[in-house]
Amino acid sequence: MTWAWRVLLWAGGAAGLWWLKGTLGLFVVNLLLVYVVVAVGLNVLMGFTGQISAGHAGFLAVGAYVAALVGQHAPGLGVGWALLAAGTVSAVLGVVIGLPALRLAGFYIAMATLAFGVVVSEAILQLDAWTGGADGMYVLAPTWFGVSLETDEQKFWLVLAVAVLTVVTASNLARSKVGRALTALRESGVAAECVGISTPFYRTLAFVVSAFYTGMAGALFAYVVSYISPDAFSIELSIDFVAMVILGGMGSIGGSILGAALLTVLDQYLAAFQDFRALIFGLAVVVCMIALPNGLQGLFRAAGARLRG
Amino acid sequence: MFWQLVVSGLATGCIYALVALGLTLIYKATEHVNFAQGEMAMVGAFLGYTLYTDLHLPVSMAVAGAVVLSGVVGLVIQFVVIRPAADQPHFNVFIITMGLSIVLRSLAGLVWSHDEFPFPGLFPVRPVTFGPVVVTPLNLGTIAVAVGIMAGLFAFFRYTRHGVAMRAVCERPEAAQLMGVEVRRVFAAVWVLSAAVSGLAGALIAPVLNLSTHMGAVVIPAFAAAILGGWGSFPGAIAGGMALGVIENLAGGYLAGQIKNMVPFLVVLGVLVVRPQGFLGEKEIRKV
Repeated sequence: MTWAWRVLLWAGGAAGLWWLKGTLGLFVVNLLLVYVVVAVGLNVLMGFTGQISAGHAGFLAVGAYVAALVGQHAPGLGVGWALLAAGTVSAVLGVVIGLPALRLAGFYIAMATLAFGVVVSEAILQLDAWTGGADGMYVLAPTWFGVSLETDEQKFWLVLAVAVLTVVTASNLARSKVGRALTALRESGVAAECVGISTPFYRTLAFVVSAFYTGMAGALFAYVVSYISPDAFSIELSIDFVAMVILGGMGSIGGSILGAALLTVLDQYLAAFQDFRALIFGLAVVVCMIALPNGLQGLFRAAGARLRG
Repeated sequence: MFWQLVVSGLATGCIYALVALGLTLIYKATEHVNFAQGEMAMVGAFLGYTLYTDLHLPVSMAVAGAVVLSGVVGLVIQFVVIRPAADQPHFNVFIITMGLSIVLRSLAGLVWSHDEFPFPGLFPVRPVTFGPVVVTPLNLGTIAVAVGIMAGLFAFFRYTRHGVAMRAVCERPEAAQLMGVEVRRVFAAVWVLSAAVSGLAGALIAPVLNLSTHMGAVVIPAFAAAILGGWGSFPGAIAGGMALGVIENLAGGYLAGQIKNMVPFLVVLGVLVVRPQGFLGEKEIRKV
């Protein structure tokens, strides 16, 4: 991709956000950017390693609760540290889930992560002395060098900064040694091992990176919605994340951004019709997988190739 | 208390075993993992409910109708959704069935709403006392029907031509095709059979849980059961289902009530860490 195209894409993204702010409000824009971070994080796992996680809402919940607890018990701590804490705790859990998952193939990982998501929700309910159980907890606004980020607009700049950082680091990761190693492992584990790529190391790493991004997104989510409770982090949410990645195209970061944006906006318009919303999300996954296994990104790429002849 | 918990656990376990059998059927024949199995059971139970309330059929007829209609649903799913994706990696088909589960649940919500409905039991619920154990005929009947179905399936696979053809396709599709087995037809038949068994499971568990669109969650204990017994093994699915039902009930009775819902997940995590091939499963060895 040339520089001109890249600038055009970023500018288009900015214009899109501006338009959304006008029509649906800044809160939705913030939520959308949080989901972009999650989708890009999940794509690191799904796109690079071909493993599916049906429990990413669990990592999101961990990050959200860490941020809320940090806000409650260490109110002076800067937002950077809080995000780092949320990402790190989530990443450590990523190791815990990722290590046994190494021995497993395919759908077992989906089941293990699904179980993880539910165990997290249940654990939050049980640890009600800290988390408030089913009542949930309020999240204090984050502070940036002593300034409390109270308004949606202040939060917007925070979320935007993290989202841009996520996109840039994830696309650099894709082109780095690590990204190439992960792609090699996905295509053929045996061939990759033969050239000295360590399967356990890189597959765990993918889990850790993915969990770190999602944990940070969880903290941002907590700040944006400012009240969290366990039922916000359901299996359905995990499957929505999978739908975002699938719709955009597995392995494509631009696709994940597009998938997250489309489904978040759709969600707003269909909020009053829960069954239609679920029906459309489900159909999107089914139709996409049958007709467009590479998602919208694959469609655009094919269209671009045809234009060029 | 102990035996009481064991007997009612076995009744729930039989339902898990039936759904797990449905999962195993599809997996053995096509190597596809069907995440929508629980929703198929839920839809089957709702179809039975409609037959009972709107067409005023007797309960036994309604349940039989639910089984037949579930088979039809399975056939439709196979034709519309699974066959077009047959050439894709199994991973993609798994994601398709995930989407399918959302579609089925929301469609059921649109048709029947998300309320709970009292589902008529195939057997009376008035308890009968056997020594220290109080059981309901519903529990016993569920166990009897489930065991009957399992025996029937066993005989079908063992002694009938179609059963043997299905087993041949499970073992080696290409060779079966060369021997004159219509593999695509067998795949469709497997989906019909699997959906019918799940529909029966749905109709059997609906009186206990109350019929609602949330019933599809039964797929999770069913997965746990199949993984516990050994993924891809028919005896494993049955034993795993029964064991899981009993473990769940004992944990709920002796430890804490809330832990009961967590048992399937803890079992999955535990088995996958300690013994991924389950108790009756074979270790997967893949050649390069």
